[in-house]
Amino acid sequence: MIEGERIQSEIIQKIRSGGQTELGMIYEEHRKEFLHWITKEYECSSDDGKDIYQLAILIFYDNIKQGKLEHLVSSVKTYLFGIGKNIAKDNRRKEKKFTPINQEKWLKEYLIDEPDQVMDENTFNFAKKALEKLGQPCQRLIELFYYENKSMQEITEAMQYKNPETAKNQKCKCMARLRKLVDQEIEQNPNAVTHEAY
Amino acid sequence: MLLPMKPTEKDIALLERYFDAELNEEETKYFASRVEQDEDFNALVKREKVIIGAIRNQGLLDNLAYLKSIEEKIEGDHAIPFYANFKTWHYYSAAAVIVLLIAVKFLFPSQQQTSEQLFTSYFKAYPNMFEPTLRGTNEITNRTEAFQAYEHGDYQKASLLFSELLKENREPGMLLLLSNANLMLGQVSEAQKNLVTLIEESDELDIQAKWYLSLSYLKSGDKENARKMLKELGETEISYASKAKELLEKVD
Repeated sequence: MIEGERIQSEIIQKIRSGGQTELGMIYEEHRKEFLHWITKEYECSSDDGKDIYQLAILIFYDNIKQGKLEHLVSSVKTYLFGIGKNIAKDNRRKEKKFTPINQEKWLKEYLIDEPDQVMDENTFNFAKKALEKLGQPCQRLIELFYYENKSMQEITEAMQYKNPETAKNQKCKCMARLRKLVDQEIEQNPNAVTHEAY
Repeated sequence: MLLPMKPTEKDIALLERYFDAELNEEETKYFASRVEQDEDFNALVKREKVIIGAIRNQGLLDNLAYLKSIEEKIEGDHAIPFYANFKTWHYYSAAAVIVLLIAVKFLFPSQQQTSEQLFTSYFKAYPNMFEPTLRGTNEITNRTEAFQAYEHGDYQKASLLFSELLKENREPGMLLLLSNANLMLGQVSEAQKNLVTLIEESDELDIQAKWYLSLSYLKSGDKENARKMLKELGETEISYASKAKELLEKVD
């Protein structure tokens, strides 16, 4: 393995096993160059450029966490610029000209685009409300599992559980509570209409 | 909207093992046939996918908030620090109350997006003024780790540790930072609970708590309570707040 590939592979490994600290490091490393490039290339403001950069970093991070990105044929920088380019192009295609990106909406749509993902918007919104009601440490635990893709061993260490079995039991209990809270939200809104594949 | 039929424990176990990628070949076939033939089970699987989607969405939003806090820090390095000490905090918060009062009054086109935008514009996490972490400190305790995590923007870790520490000793400063961490993580109702407790229990940090409570109301789209709280803040003794109210009445 040549030196460049080894470094890229180490970065990916570090992000996969890491968390927000690694996310922050990557963000700071390429920020200046990315903003300089995107504002020139797409004639957008610095704030719009930052919005795109933040999305690009989140997608890069998510791809690694979900195991979609295991090897880089190019550098992290090239990969990030590529994602940024796609986001900016997509935005321009939809709006005909460059318009500020609604990051929250964009991130919601990013999840819908996943294969086999059929979303019911009402249930999604109820689930978001239920998640807020779920509180800590449940919220953190299930986020570590489903978003950060951490193993039970890693969760045990991060959340100081006795062993992976305890962590797994706790995760099952949290999910059961969350499902119950979602049901309660649905029961309180019996007239909500289901919209699949929004 | 109809609830799916109450699932059996066996179905829930099957569902969880599917989403945790633990099914063997035979079980996977059985799972697929159930999805195809059993409408209720199919609805259950779809709902679980949406719930997991919501969890992942929350993770993305938490990390987005984290990146924004880094961005703020980078930008802040080139600007005058917003909070230098308690005295200047009062000064700046008073000025912010004026602007926010005016913004709430005149710029609210009754869209939740606008209150969210106001929140984003005005919310800055309260700095750790209570226990500044020092480089080279040898003793690492949960307490130092909590404050360090907060300073480094690791709000998830800070929130966990603060919650634990507060069970032993209810320190107002820690409660204020916990509620700020809650807001950074998008846990609005938790932040509100903590801020209300802080207002009830602390005479020293109640103004700060009210400021963040008003912002949390904006975050949740509760304009009425945001207005009430901002009005109350405008009526306190903090510099410029009363003038803000006076000016607001004149503009009206």
